[in-house]
Amino acid sequence: MSTVAAPIAAARPRRFSRRRLGALAGHVYVWAVLVVFVLPFLTLLGYSLTGPGGTYAVQNFQYVLGSFGDNLRQSFLVAGMTLVINLLVALPGAYAIVRYPFPGKRALFSLLSLPLYVPGAVIGISLVLVYNFTYHLTTSIFGLVFAMAVGTFPLMLSPIVVALKDLPLSFEEAAACLGASRWQTFWRVVFPLIGPGVSAGLMLTFIIVFNEYLVTLFVHPPDVTTAPLRVFNLVRTAGLAPTTAALAVTMQLISFGAILVFFKVFGTRYLKGTYLI
Amino acid sequence: MSTVRLDRVSKLYGTTVAVDDFDLDVADGEFVTLLGPSGCGKTTTLRMIAGLVEPSGGRIFFDDQDVTWLAPRQRNIGFVFQTPALFPHLSVADNIGFGLSVKGEKKPAIAAKVEEMLAMVGLGGYGGRLPAQLSGGQQQRVALARVLATDPRVLLFDEPLSALDRNLRDTLKYSILDLQRRTRKTAIYVTHDQSEAFAISDRIVVMSGGRAEQVGTQSDIYLNPQTSFVAEFIGANNGLRGVITGRRGEADGAAWVIDADGRTLVGADRPGLAVGQAVVAYIRPEDIEILPDGNDGGFANVLEGTVDRVIFEGPVAQVRVDVGGRELRVDVSGNERLELMRREGGVRLGFDEVSVIPSPA
Repeated sequence: MSTVAAPIAAARPRRFSRRRLGALAGHVYVWAVLVVFVLPFLTLLGYSLTGPGGTYAVQNFQYVLGSFGDNLRQSFLVAGMTLVINLLVALPGAYAIVRYPFPGKRALFSLLSLPLYVPGAVIGISLVLVYNFTYHLTTSIFGLVFAMAVGTFPLMLSPIVVALKDLPLSFEEAAACLGASRWQTFWRVVFPLIGPGVSAGLMLTFIIVFNEYLVTLFVHPPDVTTAPLRVFNLVRTAGLAPTTAALAVTMQLISFGAILVFFKVFGTRYLKGTYLI
Repeated sequence: MSTVRLDRVSKLYGTTVAVDDFDLDVADGEFVTLLGPSGCGKTTTLRMIAGLVEPSGGRIFFDDQDVTWLAPRQRNIGFVFQTPALFPHLSVADNIGFGLSVKGEKKPAIAAKVEEMLAMVGLGGYGGRLPAQLSGGQQQRVALARVLATDPRVLLFDEPLSALDRNLRDTLKYSILDLQRRTRKTAIYVTHDQSEAFAISDRIVVMSGGRAEQVGTQSDIYLNPQTSFVAEFIGANNGLRGVITGRRGEADGAAWVIDADGRTLVGADRPGLAVGQAVVAYIRPEDIEILPDGNDGGFANVLEGTVDRVIFEGPVAQVRVDVGGRELRVDVSGNERLELMRREGGVRLGFDEVSVIPSPA
C-alpha cells in the first residue's frame, strides 16, 4: 500500500503552484469588478437610509409613498403607453420586414434603427421644434409618450425581427393548411412563439422609458414630472438629500424588479430552445 | 375523398423553370408518389397543390372544383411536412385539435376527435404531453393525426420521413400507407428515396427538370424505363452507348442490333427507333449471368471481359467486369457468390436482349 501511496503524495500540487495563483488572481478580479459595479448602488442605498447626524432613518422612504408617488405613477403611465404604441408598431412592422420581400428592405431596417444612434438632446430639440410649429403637443402627455415611442421603438423592433427570423416558416404553413386564417395563425402560433423576442423588447423599452430623463426634460408638459425628472430637479434645487437618494433607490428597485418579472412571465418559458424542433 | 388533377401546371422562379407544363391525374383514394432527385420540382409541385406556392401557369382541380387560386386554408388539405412542425407551445392534444378549433368546433367534439386520432396513430394517453417530450417518430405520428383530424380531401406528404433514422423510416412508411388505406384518402407523396416510393405507392411519377419522365407502377418503371434518366435513376443499371446498325427478325421476334464501341448487342424491340440512331443499351446487374466455360446458356448477348474486383455485400456479391474499357456491374446471389470471391481473370457474361433507349441529346 505505502509503495502505491507515495508517488501520489509526491504528485500533490505545491501550495503556491502557478495554477493556484492564477485561480486566485481570477477570483480577486471577479470580486473587484463586482465591487466597482455594485458599490455605487450600495453607497446610494446606505445614504438613503441615513438620518440627521448619521442615524439610521427608514422614514426617508415615506416620500416615496407621498408626493413622489405621483411621479412614479406618471412614469408608469408614460412607460405603459409607450409599450402599447411600440408593440402596435413593431409587431406588424417586424412581420412585414421578415416575411415579405420588398425593395429597399435592408435600407428601411437600418433607417428604423436610426433613433438609437441620435443623441437624446438632438431628439429633444427637434421634437420641441416639431411640437411647437406643427402639432401643438407641448401641453399634453401624449407629446411625451410620442417622443418616448420615437426614441425607443427600434428596441422593440429588433428583438422581434430576430425572433421571427428564427421561427421556421413551416409553423405558419402548417397552421394555414389546417384551416387557420392569417389572424388566427398570428395570434395562436406566431405570437406565442416569438415570446422571447417580444418580452425582450418590452423589457428594454420599459427600462429605458421608465428611467429616461434627457428627452423628457425637453418635451414634458408642465403638469407632468416623471420620477427621474423629479430626482434631477431635487438634486438641482435641494442638493443631495438622503430623501432624494431614497427616491433614486426606489427607481432602481423598480427597474430591477421589472427585469425579474419579465423573465419570469415571458422569458424563460420559451428560452429552453424547445421551439426549434 | 377527392380526385386531383393538374393541367399543364408550371412554376417559374425568375427565368428558372421549376415545374414545366406538368400534368397529373390522381384517382380517388389513390396513393401517388412524386419521385426524383433534389431540384426536380417535386416539392414545388406538391406545394402548388397545397396552395403554398402560386403556379405561374396551368390549373389545379380537386374533383371538378378549380382550386388554383384558393388559399391553403380553403382547400381542406392535410399537409405533412419534412419536420413535424408541431406547435411547440401547445400540447399534443391541442396540436391535433388545432384544425378543428380554428374552424370553431365545440370543445367536447374536439376532445372526442383528438382521442380518436390519438388511438388511431397508436399514441393513446399522450395528449397531455408537449411535442418536445416525444421522439421524432412519435412527433411525426402526431403530425399525421393532426392532419387527419380535419378530415381533409387530400393528403400531401413532403418527404415526411427524411429526418428520421432508417429503422423508424421503415416502420413509419407502412404506418402511413396503413392509415391512408384505412381512411381511403387520396394521397400524394414526395420523396427522393426510391425504396420508400416502391414500398407505398399505387403509382409513381418519376420527375426530372420539372417534368414527368415516366408515370407507372413499380414494375413498369423498373422493368420498362422509357427514358435514360429513369433507367439510371431507378436501381442500379449498366448503360452502354452505341448506334443502331440494323434490325432482325419480324413481328414478336423482332430485335434491334446495336454497335457499342465495336461490341455487337441485341436489343429488345421498341417503337420509335431507327437505324443510325444514337442509343443507350441498358442491362440490370442482376440480369447478367457469369457463364461457365463452353456454354452460352442460350443468351442473346455474350460478352467477354476480365474481373476487376468483387465486392461482397451480404445478400449479393457485386462483380466489376471490364469489357474492353467499359466496366459492367454484375450482381451475383446465392451460393454462386461465395465461389466468386476468389475469381480472377477472364469471364464470359451472358444476358438477354438489352433495353434500348434513345440517347439523351
